[in-house]
Amino acid sequence: MNAVYILSGLGIFSLLSEIFNIRKVLFPIVLLGLAAAALLLIMDWNSVQSYYSNMLTFDNYAVAFSAGISIVALLWFMMSKDYFENNTHVTDHFALVLFSLVGAVFMVSYSNLAMLFLGIEILSISLYILAGSKMKDLFSNEAAFKYFLMGSFATGFLLFGIALVYGVTGSFDLNIIAETVAAPSVNFPSLLYAGVLMMMVGLAFKISAVPFHFWAPDVYEGSPTVVTAFMSTIVKIAAFAAFFRLFSTCFAAVSSQWVDVVQVITVLTLVVSNITAVYQNSVKRMLAFSSVAHAGYMLITLVALNEVSDSAILYYVVSYATASIAAFTILHNVAFENENVTAEAFNGLVKRNPFMAFTMTVALLSLAGIPPLAGFFAKYYIFTVAFESGYVGLVLLAILTSLIGIYYYFRIIIAMYLKSSDIITPIETPLLHRVLMVICLLASIILGVAPDLIIRLI
Amino acid sequence: MTLYAFYFLSFLAVLSALMVVFSRNPIYSVLYLVITFVCVGCHYLLLSAEFLFAVHMIVYAGAIMVLFLYVIMLLNLNKEDEAHKSNYLRFAAVISAGLLMMVVVAALRGAEASQVDFSTVSNIGKVKVLGNLLFNEFLLPFEIVSILLLAAMVGAVMLAKTHMKRTAEPTHKKNGRASVANQNITTNIKELTK
Repeated sequence: MNAVYILSGLGIFSLLSEIFNIRKVLFPIVLLGLAAAALLLIMDWNSVQSYYSNMLTFDNYAVAFSAGISIVALLWFMMSKDYFENNTHVTDHFALVLFSLVGAVFMVSYSNLAMLFLGIEILSISLYILAGSKMKDLFSNEAAFKYFLMGSFATGFLLFGIALVYGVTGSFDLNIIAETVAAPSVNFPSLLYAGVLMMMVGLAFKISAVPFHFWAPDVYEGSPTVVTAFMSTIVKIAAFAAFFRLFSTCFAAVSSQWVDVVQVITVLTLVVSNITAVYQNSVKRMLAFSSVAHAGYMLITLVALNEVSDSAILYYVVSYATASIAAFTILHNVAFENENVTAEAFNGLVKRNPFMAFTMTVALLSLAGIPPLAGFFAKYYIFTVAFESGYVGLVLLAILTSLIGIYYYFRIIIAMYLKSSDIITPIETPLLHRVLMVICLLASIILGVAPDLIIRLI
Repeated sequence: MTLYAFYFLSFLAVLSALMVVFSRNPIYSVLYLVITFVCVGCHYLLLSAEFLFAVHMIVYAGAIMVLFLYVIMLLNLNKEDEAHKSNYLRFAAVISAGLLMMVVVAALRGAEASQVDFSTVSNIGKVKVLGNLLFNEFLLPFEIVSILLLAAMVGAVMLAKTHMKRTAEPTHKKNGRASVANQNITTNIKELTK
């Protein structure tokens, strides 16, 4: 809970820093604040506390995910500093991002549907604006508009679902709903199941699972690269954690009613996104589809729900986020002003900046799931969970689709090492980005070598 | 008596909601939407939720409708020609909306009318009860909404002050720039909506 206070305080502070003209110290203070938030969260480890008449519950699951979100946010701020410094509205952008982090923390720690809704809205409203923050760029405007319209539509579904579930259970509290739903030999009216399905639609939109993913490529492509990085890491983590928390705790008792639907969504997500990603020329669009695909892998844990599902998902999310942040940092450096680059922009990168090329290789290999990197073990654990629960077909399909994934990730790697480019001027990277790349690199390798650091945590 | 009022209001609400969809002129649509909102608001009255009724009237029928009208007139959308939609899209929309309706109707059919204790119901919409709930059980959401509003406000200001430079400029020049920026945004929005 202290983390929530710190994050909101930081947001308000960054607004005030515009008035008092202390923009220079804002960045270090934000980094310190995020680190402090993560520390305070970790100190609450193993103590289940609920706040404000059970609106938020910080159990280990919530603590792990909110600490993860704070740390990824810290990395993200390191990545986006130079982009925002060239922008006149640094403080506003920082404030919006910090507010959206507050929403993200609510989304992983809620134990009341009202908080889930508020968390999603705080996160989304800030994002709609961030997506359109390049105001002269028509694509950015389109991204904001599309995201806003589709997002409001999805929120409508979510609210309708919440209302129907409330109609049956008479409460917004997750524990009470779980108890009501788990009551043996009660014939629930189909109102409940309609509500569960509608909430699923709303949340599947937020994680961009396949039948509800149409907004994702355009929004990811149109938004500024740093905002895209934010969407495909922090927003994805928060949205998936919210999805998982709701369905694994609240509706676990009626899982027979929804598990088939999730399974269909998972299969569609895995197949459609991976195949579409192959056909993308723009690297950003390719990364967008790959992030849709990763949502599919995460959904497998929900289909094959057992007691180690949540630690598998945490490990997956952390490895995915570090690799993505690294990939987006490099894309940001390579693309520079030009937002939509094709794989050709990476031609001969190894000569222009060998360290960047190496980091990109590791990040992409981790995303593709090549041992010994973190991405491989993340997929491995998820497949193990699914295998133990008896979903052999799903595992086979997921392995096949990750093979397709290797193809499109390798296209960039091949471009970097084997193709030559006319431009041979070396690319300068800011010190902060080099530090960030080293951190992501180490995280991908260390987590891959020693997955026990995270895997048995929750 | 209440039952007749309920049926009358529901009939009116559904009718005007249909008119919102079917009328070609966006301004008519908005005006029909006002009627829909008023009818829904009156339903709150029937459920003896006076506070909700007042809020609903002020926020929806008042503020949001004015915004709608303002935007429609600002963008000069009050023409009768709609953007052409392909038959394929219409077909898909009708099918999915029909499926959704089927789900909702099926869900509502199975539901039994719950037995409500009417002695508590008469209090449920009173401001006092609502206030008690908001400041006890729902204190955190109530306070957290302020962050949501703050974020929305920051965003609105950010979008509005688009191209103004930080350096001091003569005021008339600034205004000129702002209006050019506004025009840019308007044309952008128009191109997007096409």
